[in-house]
Amino acid sequence: MLQIGPSIDFGPIHYWIESNNCILVGYTSGKETHSMHTWSNPHRAVRAVTGLALAGLFLTGCTANDTSNIADTGDPVSGGTLTYASGDAEPSCLDPHVGGNFPQGMIAAQYLESLVSRNSAGQIIPWLAESWTPSPDGLTWDFTLRGDVSFTDGTVFDAAAVQANIAHLRNPTTLSSTGYLALGKVASTEVVSPTVVRFIMTEPDSALLESLSQVWLAMESPAALERSQDENCVAPVGTGPFIVDSWVKQSAITLVRNDDYVSPPADADHSGPAYLDQVIWRFIPDSASRYAALQAGQVDVIDNAQPDTIVQATQSDSIEHLDSPRPGSSNRIELNSGKAPFNDVRVREAFIRSANVDDAVSSLFQGTATRSYSALSSVESTAVSDPTLFGYDPSAAAELLDAAGWGETDADGYRVKDGVRLSVQFPVSTNQSIPAEQSVFEQIQATAKETGFEVKLAPLDLSSWYAALATNDYDAVSAPYTKVGPDVLRILYHSDSIVPAPSGYFANLAQVNDPQIDELLTTAASTTDVAERTSLYADAQNRILAGFYILPLYDQQNHYLLRSDVVGLRTLPTVAVPTLYDAWLNR
Amino acid sequence: MSDLAQQAELTTRSGQSGQPLRLGVAEGMAGVLGLFLLISAVAPQFLAPGDPLGIDPLAAFAPPSFAHGFGTDESGRDIYTRVVHGTQYSLVIGVAATAIGLGLGIVLGTLAGMLGRVVDFTVNRFLEVLFAFPGLLLALLFILVFGPGVATATIAVGLSTAPGYARIIRGQLIAVRGAAFVEAATVLGRTRWQILLRHILPNTLAPLFVLATLGVGQAIVWAATLSYLGLGAEPPTAEWGAMLSAGRTYITSAWWMSFFPGLFIVLTAVTATVLGRSIDRRMRHA
Repeated sequence: MLQIGPSIDFGPIHYWIESNNCILVGYTSGKETHSMHTWSNPHRAVRAVTGLALAGLFLTGCTANDTSNIADTGDPVSGGTLTYASGDAEPSCLDPHVGGNFPQGMIAAQYLESLVSRNSAGQIIPWLAESWTPSPDGLTWDFTLRGDVSFTDGTVFDAAAVQANIAHLRNPTTLSSTGYLALGKVASTEVVSPTVVRFIMTEPDSALLESLSQVWLAMESPAALERSQDENCVAPVGTGPFIVDSWVKQSAITLVRNDDYVSPPADADHSGPAYLDQVIWRFIPDSASRYAALQAGQVDVIDNAQPDTIVQATQSDSIEHLDSPRPGSSNRIELNSGKAPFNDVRVREAFIRSANVDDAVSSLFQGTATRSYSALSSVESTAVSDPTLFGYDPSAAAELLDAAGWGETDADGYRVKDGVRLSVQFPVSTNQSIPAEQSVFEQIQATAKETGFEVKLAPLDLSSWYAALATNDYDAVSAPYTKVGPDVLRILYHSDSIVPAPSGYFANLAQVNDPQIDELLTTAASTTDVAERTSLYADAQNRILAGFYILPLYDQQNHYLLRSDVVGLRTLPTVAVPTLYDAWLNR
Repeated sequence: MSDLAQQAELTTRSGQSGQPLRLGVAEGMAGVLGLFLLISAVAPQFLAPGDPLGIDPLAAFAPPSFAHGFGTDESGRDIYTRVVHGTQYSLVIGVAATAIGLGLGIVLGTLAGMLGRVVDFTVNRFLEVLFAFPGLLLALLFILVFGPGVATATIAVGLSTAPGYARIIRGQLIAVRGAAFVEAATVLGRTRWQILLRHILPNTLAPLFVLATLGVGQAIVWAATLSYLGLGAEPPTAEWGAMLSAGRTYITSAWWMSFFPGLFIVLTAVTATVLGRSIDRRMRHA
């Protein structure tokens, strides 16, 4: 299946009972277990469900296996196999040009590389391109490429390869979404010399470098791209530190080291090939099973770690925590301003004032997430934050509702206007919202009820959730969007994004339709002067926040837990996907 | 036969079999628990006056204590209150699903047993097709078509138990159909429907009562299973299966969130089974 929302992440899917059985088996036998067996008899499933309650008792008695304590990490050692367990959905295609979502990006960062990268200070740094020069009018960009890089199939990386990749992304049959949108202002590319490629723009694009730094626009072997899409999806060929060796669907992807690797990004810790011999990339959607596998030492790294397990891990010597919020938007609830009741700014503000988000975040995330008051992630230096707009104030909320004509209250305590109850349809994607986040929504439902909002939470699988959005059958929704830089604001709040893409998805879920915001975002996107661009984006953000279109919650959470003997794991400061290039095993 | 005579025969029979009808320990406990569950279902606020949906974020994840006997969940809701208030969902779903299953079973079984060979053949083949699906799979199929929710889960569980009941009723019916008193009624000129309603059905359904009591326990477990899978009651509803599912995420840090709902699913199913067997035993004695 093709995911349409670019880099919308897939969070843990959590309803397969066999995963629970694995917790039990994993603990009782301490051996490798299969997470893919199915129930031949429904009664076994029933027994597992009821037995789970009892199992809880002895599970709490279990502790992590004691591993050797690491006092001194010493010099990196080559060799070994690292097992990574992802809680995200298994991609249907390993080529992130196709579609382009976060799970694809996470694994693709191990075998594909981009033209540029970003350092932790937010500056664009060289990668496969050594340098770049825009023309004064911003309509052409010349990228000078490294001359010593080859793809792992032997094809030389040169200007023609870049041209082939851009063509692949723009080819409608590739079905690219994220990459395609990011190249919206690129008219064509030209091979100036084998090491110089020229991008010709339709208009200046201040986000071009940020867009190109993303893993969804990474470079693949042109020879490999000529294969059928099915073939390329199974084993894309890049210039990265690892090579896709095999993919057993619904089980694991095996990556092996690229021994001829020469092209780490400018901020990497070492040069030459990676330390690890091999990487096994597994998928364990159930969060409790994933954490249990890490505790038992069956896997070395897990992503999508849940708040309670992070708190546990910080008390453990054998597990480390890596927190790396994603760039782009913050995690926020978007209020559909395109229809009643949220087409009235007073009702939007009332809803925001009636929601006690602070208590929910502190109790459920237990200190692992910080409250956000911004449309953008805190890693974006251009983010504007305004806590005064989002305080919990039920009495102000009640007054706003009175003023908006929702003065009457029905027998159940909900506000009513012209005989219609103040209801808020809130479809929740159980694939994207982790359990703690779903509980945040439940608490918002409970506190908003006190003011008189009837919040109807509907937990949905991904396709039903997309369907609810496509048919405009929602009043509130949470759909995080990952992108490097503030240009994400244009995708999320420009009125153009209310028009659905051919895939049916539209990113402006708050349905913000404000000519002034459109103007600011359009101008900012073609303004290359940094200060002016920042100021334009600040104006746009202030207007978005003051319009009460969104209720910011926290950054897009991106927590990894790893065994203490895994050293050197980091995330790329571009889109916060993990990179195992510098990682090694101290065992 | 007069009540006295019945009593006399009952005494004689128990004397003969050497098994006096004493109340066992298990039956006693099941009785007490059954009463507790019944009160929980009918008047939950009597046992747990709190609000099952009332949140208290600052008291989240509290382990069982004097203030919160069963602890609290991730939003600070009291688990004991939720478990007590959740009884009505489970019992209503259990009883309603069994009623649906039994009702459908009676109709299908009677059709097969009474309306001649062609109907019997058709109904039997239909039942065989249904039997080919494991019960839970049939329920999942139904939910897939009609969407999740408490009502659909109840109907789904009811539907999936119907073929079993139909089979038993048909067999029972065929056995009773040839009995001497049915022949006598036929000779006396009673119509087919009169015979069915006044003579055959009463004699067929008595044993089913036991089966239905056992079935309630099974239906509760199935309904909880569906909610656990996210196909029945939706969070934050205080339904046991949904609570078990919500607690699963925190099983390594807050065991009480899934333990107590799980315990009550087990206890309710066991209670229904023990009571069913007890009634069965008594009826055999009678």
